[in-house]
Amino acid sequence: MAICEFIVNWAGGVPATALPYALAALGLIVSERAGVLNLTAEGLLLVGALAGIGASLAIADRPWVALPAAVLAAMAVGLLFAGLVVLLRVNQVIAGLAVVFFCQGLTSLLGTLAEWQNHPISGLGKLIVWPLSELPAGTHALFQQDGLVYALLPIFYGVHRVLFKSMTGLRLRAVGEAPEAADSAGLGVTRYRVLAVVAGSALIGLAGGYLAVGGTKMWFGGMTGGRGWIAVALVIFARWRPWRALFGALLFGCIESMVPRIAAAGISVPQYFILMTPYLVTIAVMVWAGRGKGGADLDEPGALGRPHVREERR
Amino acid sequence: MGSRWLRGCLAAGLVLMGFSSQALADGFTLEGKPKVAFLYFDAKNDGGWTQSFEESRGAIEKAMDEKIPYVEKVPENAAQIRPAAEKLIARGYNVIIGTAFGYSDTFKELAGKYPKVVFLNAAGTTNGPNLQSFYGRTYQSQYLCGMVAGAMSKSGKLGFVAAHPFGVVNWTINAYEMGARLVNPNATLTVVYTGAWNDPVKERAATEALIDQGIDVIGQHVDTPMPQIVAQERGVYATGHHRDMREFAPKATLCSSVWVWSKFLVPELKTISAGNWTPEPFGAFPSIKEGGTDIACCGPAVPKPAVDKVMAERQALLDGKQIFAGPLSDRDGKERVPAGKVLADGDLWKMDWFVPGVITQR
Repeated sequence: MAICEFIVNWAGGVPATALPYALAALGLIVSERAGVLNLTAEGLLLVGALAGIGASLAIADRPWVALPAAVLAAMAVGLLFAGLVVLLRVNQVIAGLAVVFFCQGLTSLLGTLAEWQNHPISGLGKLIVWPLSELPAGTHALFQQDGLVYALLPIFYGVHRVLFKSMTGLRLRAVGEAPEAADSAGLGVTRYRVLAVVAGSALIGLAGGYLAVGGTKMWFGGMTGGRGWIAVALVIFARWRPWRALFGALLFGCIESMVPRIAAAGISVPQYFILMTPYLVTIAVMVWAGRGKGGADLDEPGALGRPHVREERR
Repeated sequence: MGSRWLRGCLAAGLVLMGFSSQALADGFTLEGKPKVAFLYFDAKNDGGWTQSFEESRGAIEKAMDEKIPYVEKVPENAAQIRPAAEKLIARGYNVIIGTAFGYSDTFKELAGKYPKVVFLNAAGTTNGPNLQSFYGRTYQSQYLCGMVAGAMSKSGKLGFVAAHPFGVVNWTINAYEMGARLVNPNATLTVVYTGAWNDPVKERAATEALIDQGIDVIGQHVDTPMPQIVAQERGVYATGHHRDMREFAPKATLCSSVWVWSKFLVPELKTISAGNWTPEPFGAFPSIKEGGTDIACCGPAVPKPAVDKVMAERQALLDGKQIFAGPLSDRDGKERVPAGKVLADGDLWKMDWFVPGVITQR
């Protein structure tokens, strides 16, 4: 029984742990499918987190205020990034890193100035939806999730449909694979790229907002703790495919949610080995994913990281 | 016999002479009045460690009758610490108080470069003729918190959210469990290390995992109030660290281990100001009696008899009771402190063993 309870509790904790990774990776995929190499996730997560808490404290302590605020704030910063790399054609790696540092400083400063630090909010509550709530009480820990967890599958399905089953998605991917060809076909490369970056940023902002509003329910400077970088790695692992990113995020969530539970259950295993496992598994899965068939290179969008300049020969 | 007596006398005389001349030659004396300034590691309202210094600053200003400036968010790297400190020194400040372990090396270097300036550093590891690190004996206040936790736990299962497994953290864990066992001899303490001082996401996961295991009082030694907040959400109790955590979780917080820096720093600054100050060779390590650390006790949930018991034990600590006194064995049965002995400070700092009842990863 104890072991059943352990598994139910553990599995119940997985979605909340995996969700920020999944949404952030999805946001990065949207941007990178359009050919814009995006390293801004860590910064945008912070922006989303701060905006979510800030809106809760300044406007109303409601998730439907906080999460849109997180999305909008991240979109604004995403627009800045898009302006840098698409319009001004700054090197995408450097611009991405610069945006992260900028966001780290900015959020920390704003959080201090506005005194948003150390004020708990009630945030996103757990809910259990109808057919699942009828299951035996022992399983409730499994299905009692934040509202956003239930929205995760529709979001992934929606993004997948748009990217791979719609004309917009086809054009977006064309811009990412061969911007010159897309340009000759009359597609607005700049427009598609800016929109893709901003839309992707919205998803990353939502992930950041969730970390704060659904997770910590409080603002701490630098609270994302490197989770954005893991999302960047997840994108490569997922070979720029949404469902694989979701799988990767869940895998990561499983392990991360397991780590404290092993200790809490009093199982003695070497401390630092356990803290290392999420990263170890990431490397292992990347190696596995990269073997054979030319590895990840085949799936990488053809023009990833390359700014498009009309009339310029390459 | 006679010559031995004479030699004894001579030695005593020499020691006395040496003492007085040494005091004149070796004790540190500031030129002019002390002008104190703080370097804060984080924001002054970080809710924990840094805020405890900010709160002591007012009391120190009053006692020393001077305005004490501070620089916030000085991260733990030399390129940021050096200019911040040097700017203050150039403006005439001659007592610089740092607040981070990571300032240790830079403060050592600055102390050599500015021999006329006093450097004090909380949680530091370096010392010198004009440099002294200081830290509170947190195991005393956490021991008292453990007593409260032991008294309030229905299941006898306590949990602890900790940052890193090393001496400073391990001694609070051991003392917490020893305090709990004083009240409930069967109490156990399950520890989750998050591997970070400030990762609220991991702290939340750790606290939830502990509560899911049937643990009903959570202790902590991390830099955020996250464990208290989760405890309150889940309807269990918690004890805080750094500051009185009732600010964040009034229902869940039973008591907190708090910093009372002014109680240590005011007399220390007065000593420095009087001249002939000799810094402790291995840093100052004040107990509840000397300031540094104390317990903020207790929330309304704790019954009067339990509070009285804790306060009586606090008085015993003030009167010199030692927590890590022998005979004391670790959880594997190995004797760590022989009967009649007390664990030395050096062994405290490298504590890597746990008392019976503590459940941790290896």
